[in-house]
Amino acid sequence: MNAQKKYGMSIDVDRCTGCGSCMVACAVENNIPPAHAGANDRNGLTWIRVYKVDNGEDYPGKRSAFIPVLCQQCGEHTPCASVCPQQAVDVDPRTGIVGQMPERCLGCRYCMAACPYHARYFNWWDPRWPAGMEKTLNPDVAPRMRGVVEKCNFCHGRWHAAKQKAAAAGKSEIEPGDYVPACVEACPTGAIRFGDLNDPSNDLRHPDSFRLLKKLGTDPKIYYRSKRDWVRNVAQASRPVSSQKEASHG
Amino acid sequence: MTTTRRDIFKFAGGSALGALLTPAPWRLITDTALWSENWPGIPRPARGEIRAKFTHCSLCPAGCAVRARCVGEQPVSLAGVRGGLCPFGVTGHQLPYHPARLRQGPVSEAMAAVADAIAKCGPGERVAVLDLRPGRTASWTARRAMAVLKNGWYIAPVQSPVAVDLTKARTVLSLSAPLLERWGTPANVFAVRDGFRLIQADPVESRTAALADLWLPIRPGSEEALALGLAGQLTSAETAAMTGLSEHQIESVGQTIGFGRLSLVIDRAMSPAVVALNVKLGGWGRTIVPRAEAPVPPEWKKAAPVTDLAAVPDRSIRVLLIDESAPGEYLPWDAIEKKLAAGNPLVVVFAWSANGYGRYAKYVLPTPVYPEATDDIPPAIDSPAPCFRIAAPLLAAPAGVVTPSEFIASLAGLPPADALRERARAIHQGGRGTLVTYADAKSVPVKEVKPDDFWKALNAGGCWVGQALPPANFRAPVGQALPPANPSQGLVVLATPPAPSPASPLFTKLYQESDLLLAPNCIALHPQDAARCGVSAGNRATLETPNGKWSVRILTDSSVRPGVVLAARPEMASASGKVVRV
Repeated sequence: MNAQKKYGMSIDVDRCTGCGSCMVACAVENNIPPAHAGANDRNGLTWIRVYKVDNGEDYPGKRSAFIPVLCQQCGEHTPCASVCPQQAVDVDPRTGIVGQMPERCLGCRYCMAACPYHARYFNWWDPRWPAGMEKTLNPDVAPRMRGVVEKCNFCHGRWHAAKQKAAAAGKSEIEPGDYVPACVEACPTGAIRFGDLNDPSNDLRHPDSFRLLKKLGTDPKIYYRSKRDWVRNVAQASRPVSSQKEASHG
Repeated sequence: MTTTRRDIFKFAGGSALGALLTPAPWRLITDTALWSENWPGIPRPARGEIRAKFTHCSLCPAGCAVRARCVGEQPVSLAGVRGGLCPFGVTGHQLPYHPARLRQGPVSEAMAAVADAIAKCGPGERVAVLDLRPGRTASWTARRAMAVLKNGWYIAPVQSPVAVDLTKARTVLSLSAPLLERWGTPANVFAVRDGFRLIQADPVESRTAALADLWLPIRPGSEEALALGLAGQLTSAETAAMTGLSEHQIESVGQTIGFGRLSLVIDRAMSPAVVALNVKLGGWGRTIVPRAEAPVPPEWKKAAPVTDLAAVPDRSIRVLLIDESAPGEYLPWDAIEKKLAAGNPLVVVFAWSANGYGRYAKYVLPTPVYPEATDDIPPAIDSPAPCFRIAAPLLAAPAGVVTPSEFIASLAGLPPADALRERARAIHQGGRGTLVTYADAKSVPVKEVKPDDFWKALNAGGCWVGQALPPANFRAPVGQALPPANPSQGLVVLATPPAPSPASPLFTKLYQESDLLLAPNCIALHPQDAARCGVSAGNRATLETPNGKWSVRILTDSSVRPGVVLAARPEMASASGKVVRV
């Protein structure tokens, strides 16, 4: 009998430079196409998105931080799963990962409305790559068609590959180093860490860490860390976007 | 028995209801869903044997070690070996398919035109190679070729002869250097980040400034004044007047980085003033060290010297070959153009994309691009020891592209030879240093490796690391007391740290589908400046500088210093700019 896992992440906001490596690595890994000509920040497709937030002051008192936001993999009363009429959202009891099945999704977007983290994205356009670039697609992940909702699944293709590797070696458990999502692997600053939250040997759930919108009680599995109080306060806002950015795109 | 119309309806209705109780309709729905996932409009990923290959990324001087996941011979993802990669490195395998990629060019016609122009060079006129990424083996080939031509010049940006050792620093003062963005090797910088206190002097709240322990918002262009002030060549009052900082701030920084405190001062290019300040702070041989180049064959020493563009007489270059195949430093075209001879000079650009200097050239010749190109990467600024690593190709280059060093060598009649292999042989003959291989994570003294194995290991992503030289063998460069920058008229246009251009189409995730990066066609300015210029967020406008005019979209950002415009393209940078609403 396999031990039940509870995969989660720790993101150190004080180490994130906002370089965007996680965002493009996610797109490479999960066969997410480049932006359509009509795409913008409201209808784009980014399974992980780095938001620039600030303390609300003006230059030179302004201080900024970068907060990567992805599916928070809610553990309790998963909002998206509870509203899906197609059962296209499923929480895997073996891993705790909230999965999305595009084959079942009918595109009603109830889950997007229910997600308090704005971490779900609707596929408005057929996936298109510049000529020749489709050769670089990841063979472990099928591109999704237009009209379905997509989101982070902790690189489920990598989890399957790790399971296969473990099975080939005659093991029932995967080695922790064999399963690492693409954003974790790509982060040049080491700000994002990943592991089994049930494993007491890692400190992903550090006492100083916090979770986005904790008051909602969704039990997210993404833990953030920052020594800056204003960053912790911003993380409890309904959408971690600075007032300045809101205005600039209003 | 007679069959009525009612019976037919009853049979049809019962059949329809009965069919719902069979698996057929549900199977149909499932198959339709699966079919719609794989309809012809959706590309299917290629299948094949999964393999790992190792190489080095040549998109910037950091030269990160890369592990490529390949399906057959096709790389499908790249990852760092010693830590993560920057977004340019992560998407490097997509560059050969970039829509702006050049695949064909008039190579023979350009060769004939260059040979003809060289033959017709007048007295005092020159043939020059402008190398934007000096220090490579290809750079040595260009230098050797220019030495063969009697009127040849090798022009390249001046390289600092020093390297920094971040592991020894306890305090780092960065003068607008993008230390945490694109300055050294990301994995090395972040491996030791917790070991030093970072003070960032920067006109805008850059990404490095956002994560610094202390941010000093100085005036644009006053970095050297701050360095001179901290070196004691300017008084605190003079420094404060030039930088916009308070005297107290300057004195406090001076005390923090005081003599013998293992402090390191850096700027974007490690200018002589900054090197001199480090020497004054006692960092020579500790936080800042001299670094020798990897050995080259003795016969290469007859190469043409490296000439700075500023030292080239105006109107003296008849034939200019610009090697833009590897991303390098940006030089304003105005500075280059005034060196060209009057009356139809010949400019040939080697580039893999249509961007860059190609718009000014008579011939643009397509080159291989990473990861097709075979090139070596000189050590990064934060590598105290010399090293030799090869960006071994992961893909075959398409027919029709030309390698700049081969073109230039053939122009000068140099015998065709594998310069990288010659250099590897010279390094191996030296017998010093170690060979690091990533596939098996081993480090072996070069003496214990056979020459052929050494070459094979380098092509499989290995790296030769030499020995750091004792500082006593070198004299520290002398700093210059440069005049302070004059206050500019209008808006100062600053560019974000230089980056490989164009980047993968996936970068649209960062500036179109989110606001993380500044798009190439956008500028950011403070809301007060935007109001003063009569523009607001989202407006179209024209950015006018002495370098040219650009149609841009406006973003407002209160982290930008009033009086400053932030742009993503280096050619927009200027001490004086104007924003005009369209």
